[in-house]
Amino acid sequence: MMVDELLCVNGDEAQCRLAVREDNFFLEEDGLIAEVGIIEHIAQSASAFAGYRAVEEDGATEPPVGYIGEVKNFHLTERPAVGDVLITTITMGPTVDGVTIISGECKKESGEPVADTRMKIYVP
Amino acid sequence: MFLKDKFYKVTKEDVSGTSATYTLAILPDCSVYDGHFPGNPVCPGVCNMQTILECAMMLTGKSLHYNTIKQCRLTAIATPEVCPEVMVSVSVDESNTILAEIKDSKQTYMTLKGTVQ
Repeated sequence: MMVDELLCVNGDEAQCRLAVREDNFFLEEDGLIAEVGIIEHIAQSASAFAGYRAVEEDGATEPPVGYIGEVKNFHLTERPAVGDVLITTITMGPTVDGVTIISGECKKESGEPVADTRMKIYVP
Repeated sequence: MFLKDKFYKVTKEDVSGTSATYTLAILPDCSVYDGHFPGNPVCPGVCNMQTILECAMMLTGKSLHYNTIKQCRLTAIATPEVCPEVMVSVSVDESNTILAEIKDSKQTYMTLKGTVQ
């Protein structure tokens, strides 16, 4: 799991938290998380937000499974290390034919930028 | 290269200058399928993206990271059953632009354009 907690939801925005631990699947030999691990964290943050909406607002019994359809304009600033706490802000865009456009901005708890991206999430 | 011999295994390589095609066996016993998803193994899109990066590392002989991903499209759902063998075509030019595609004889699973460092 690449999300520990959905911290807050405010309209089309939500924040999620992840503490980077030693057993993280995406940890590389240099002790830093691979870029794709950050992308997975952003995708799972969006998925947690979508799941919250489905259950809390639409009355679904369990959150839907979503797939990444596209990653667009990903920029890496700095790969996080073990011990870093990541706070990611997800902005949910419109959904058309099961595809939702989201943007994600990942920062360290201290405010230093980690990465940002846009993504299409597909829920079949 | 944390996915090599764990998520995939290289069975053939065809290198030509700044581009190459790697034939990979997708390993069905990788621990990533324990969670993605229980009883319904689907290759995580990000693992396919990392596989492309690792193929670029084999091509260039350097340790690489994605600096930007301009666009990565996931055009079909890949699973160890649907595509036990895939071909990864990758090129890295002198300005560190990476272009790649994952496909088999049936369909294309991923296209990617970005920059590495």
